[in-house]
Amino acid sequence: MAIWLFPLLGALACWFLGPQLKSKSGWLACAAMLLSFVATLLSWRAGTQSVGGVLGVVQPLGISWIPGFDFGLMLDPLSLIWALIITGVGSLIHLYSVGYMHGDRAIARFFAYMNFFVFAMLTLVLSDNFVGLLIGWGLVGLASYFLIGFWFDRPSAVAAARKAFVINVVGDVGIMLAIFILFANLHSLSFSAVFAGAGGLSTGTLLAVCVFLFVGAAAKSAQVPLHTWLPDAMEGPTPVSALIHAATMVTAGVYLIARCAPLWSHSPDAQLLVGSIGGLTALVGAILGTAQWDIKRILAYSTMSQIGYMIMGVGVGAYEGGVAHFFTHAFFKAQLFLGSGLIIHALANEQDVRRMGGLRKKLPFAFVAMGTGVLAICGIPGFSGFFSKDMVIYGTLEHGHPWMYAVGILTAGITAYYMFRLLFVTFLGEYRGDVDPARLGIPATQTAAATVSHEDVHDRAPAWIMAVPVGILIVPSVLVGWLMFGGDGSPWSRLFAGQFVAAPGVAPAISETLTSSIVLVVVLAGIAVAVWRYATKAALSASIERLAGESLHMPAVLSNAFYVDAAIDAVLVRGSQLLGAFFGRILDPRAIDGAARGVAGSAEIFGGVVRSLQNGLLRSYALALVVGVACVIAYYALAGGAH
Amino acid sequence: MIVLWWLVAIVLIATAVWTISARKPVYSVVALLTHFLALAVSYIMLSAEFLGVIQVVIYVGAILVLFVFVIALLSSGVGSFSVGPDKMKKAAWPAGIVTAIAFGLLAWKLGGAIASTPVTANISTVAGEAGAFGSVADFGKALFTTYLLPFEITAFVLMVAVIGVILLAGDQSVHAPSRERADRVAREMREAIVRGGEE
Amino acid sequence: MSGAMPVAIGNYLALSSIIFFIGVAGVLLRRNPLIMLMSVELMWNAANLLFLAFARVWLNNAGHVFAFLVITVAAAEAAIGLAIIVTVFRTRANVDVDEVGALRG
Repeated sequence: MAIWLFPLLGALACWFLGPQLKSKSGWLACAAMLLSFVATLLSWRAGTQSVGGVLGVVQPLGISWIPGFDFGLMLDPLSLIWALIITGVGSLIHLYSVGYMHGDRAIARFFAYMNFFVFAMLTLVLSDNFVGLLIGWGLVGLASYFLIGFWFDRPSAVAAARKAFVINVVGDVGIMLAIFILFANLHSLSFSAVFAGAGGLSTGTLLAVCVFLFVGAAAKSAQVPLHTWLPDAMEGPTPVSALIHAATMVTAGVYLIARCAPLWSHSPDAQLLVGSIGGLTALVGAILGTAQWDIKRILAYSTMSQIGYMIMGVGVGAYEGGVAHFFTHAFFKAQLFLGSGLIIHALANEQDVRRMGGLRKKLPFAFVAMGTGVLAICGIPGFSGFFSKDMVIYGTLEHGHPWMYAVGILTAGITAYYMFRLLFVTFLGEYRGDVDPARLGIPATQTAAATVSHEDVHDRAPAWIMAVPVGILIVPSVLVGWLMFGGDGSPWSRLFAGQFVAAPGVAPAISETLTSSIVLVVVLAGIAVAVWRYATKAALSASIERLAGESLHMPAVLSNAFYVDAAIDAVLVRGSQLLGAFFGRILDPRAIDGAARGVAGSAEIFGGVVRSLQNGLLRSYALALVVGVACVIAYYALAGGAH
Repeated sequence: MIVLWWLVAIVLIATAVWTISARKPVYSVVALLTHFLALAVSYIMLSAEFLGVIQVVIYVGAILVLFVFVIALLSSGVGSFSVGPDKMKKAAWPAGIVTAIAFGLLAWKLGGAIASTPVTANISTVAGEAGAFGSVADFGKALFTTYLLPFEITAFVLMVAVIGVILLAGDQSVHAPSRERADRVAREMREAIVRGGEE
Repeated sequence: MSGAMPVAIGNYLALSSIIFFIGVAGVLLRRNPLIMLMSVELMWNAANLLFLAFARVWLNNAGHVFAFLVITVAAAEAAIGLAIIVTVFRTRANVDVDEVGALRG
């Protein structure tokens, strides 16, 4: 429980004592994070123990909110891994932020939001029931909204925050529907009860539940077609991108699917759906990553692509592989983002790579950091990404999905291409910061940051407080993969023994070693293309012309991100606006107001009729009397009331 | 007997029609007079001797006389019984139709459908016999014993009618002094208020 | 008169109805208030006739008594009606009910 509460206390302290603390709030937030991390480490034993077949430990909170329904915290290997990443990598990012956000006037609010986010994410992963998970889910979306739109005087940031939140709400609805169905059928929402009863549900029900849960996962984890918020979310500060949109929040979908593995193992159709979308997202993200010029957007699309891998992995049932990829990805993606933050900070908030170049000599530390990150993500043997990515790709073949296998391999090649493109364009050649943007192919509409000249770049090298976390991250992003080395006997597999029900895997035609070799070949091919385009002597000397040419000849499909945003705008946004206009301009005035006026009008008419009866003519009154009497007589005469 | 009945019936209907359609009200009064006399005859045919006499005395002797007086009073007024334009011409005929339909239904449905229940009273119906049905003695006994309460209430109604008539059509000049006094007091109060406001 | 009634009761019913509805027509179709009042008297009397007819059929005194009360009330009503007519039409040029439109609206 301590794990859970420290960030909450930190958030509250930063929020309420913010004006007093100002920049010291950063240290307070870091302290909260470190305490939480330490608590997580201390809980390792408890989390991994296996008592009587029950994995991990459950700590009921004793809050009976709804009668007969108890909330509690659960710590088992799955949530433990997530908690480690959240608190560990989170602590490093907090430390980094103290330097990055230095001087920002709302620094206390920033750290309050960051701690709040961590608290929400921990709620999500530490709950032992669906409702707690949903609460955490929603709070995480809220924290993301706060943090993306942190610099709220920028309209683009506000719009991006809103977009993220709206798409997340779509996901929330999906999870809620799944919860409703589960509760209606099983009358309980704690994980243990639901998973025990999962086998008893009909195929249709189970499929519906899985699909709805996946809607939620897809929204949070930026899978196609709910991915459009992620690139725009880069409007937030870089540490935010590192923490939320690389390591933790976007992986919540992966956590959800891994946690509900018993549900998915009973529904092969759902597995096929999830795996396909994961593969598709991986491919689409990679393709779009090749067409980006903003350093953070390149990383955003790469995140989308890598999460596609994770989803594909846990979707088909390769849970260990998918979770492993999450673990390694958290390290190297955070490192990449923080490294890019170093560059951005040094160049006075310039993010367009066309205006970079030659930073290898100017910011050597950043070069080392980004370089190792790129090597890891491409799956170069020896680096962590290599192990986890191959686990995922091989897993798809093991569970009988050859198409996904092919997509995974292809995407690995494309990933290598665009990541090395990033590396080469940013760090090699000559510095292009003082070149006229028009010559580089940058459109005039794009707001350029202040030009930083050659000399100033060197003086703006990062302070120790930002460099240290990045340096610390280099180690795991390189080495952590070795935990997964060794197949079923590896430390990783032993950790998760008993966590996931192993589906019987078919021994595939292509062995694991052969798979790894194929992947390596494809990756090297991608690197070769990148070298040929950007790193040869000829390319470097003509870099300005090459980049300008590429900018101008970028296919419109790619620069508009396959028109997904435009499609959503046309269908959903315009549709809602039309609906609103219809109601506002047609239905409301005519139908509803018309009805009201009609009532008044009919009252008027009725009044007119009645008024004509009051004409002062005595004889007409007498006539009325007679007519009435005649009616009564007629009634009695006809109805035989003469008795 | 039957012949007499039919004769009386024809007279009744004819005089009724003449009453409502005569040009001058005096003619209507005369027709009504004849109508009442014929009714008295038919009452006596129904062994209701006392009521036949009462009919003549009260209706003819009192009410019709009243009508004649009022006619005299009004015709000595400003104009004669001139009649302005008819404002209800459009509705007259539908009224007539409604009346006819109702009358037709009533007469047809009820005519002859009522069976006579066996008579259980052992009272003589021979006219002139003491205590016979419809005689003064018989009627008086019923009125002052079984139906005493309605009788008293009717007396009360008559008294109210008399008072009403006096108030409505009586000598208006009797009220004049009190009315003048009331008007004067109201005027003085109004002036006092106005004066008070000005000061 | 012997015990049984010489004329059937249905005849009396028809006769009474006819006179009654003649009275109704008079009320609706004439505009002289005096004629209207006389038509009302017709209606009273039609009812009286019927009361007495049934009293004879069932040899029941109640009919007589009620007819007597009807006569009384009719007299009172005629008196008051005439008083109203006098009051209203005393100062008017036309003795026409349609002219008395103060209740209009």
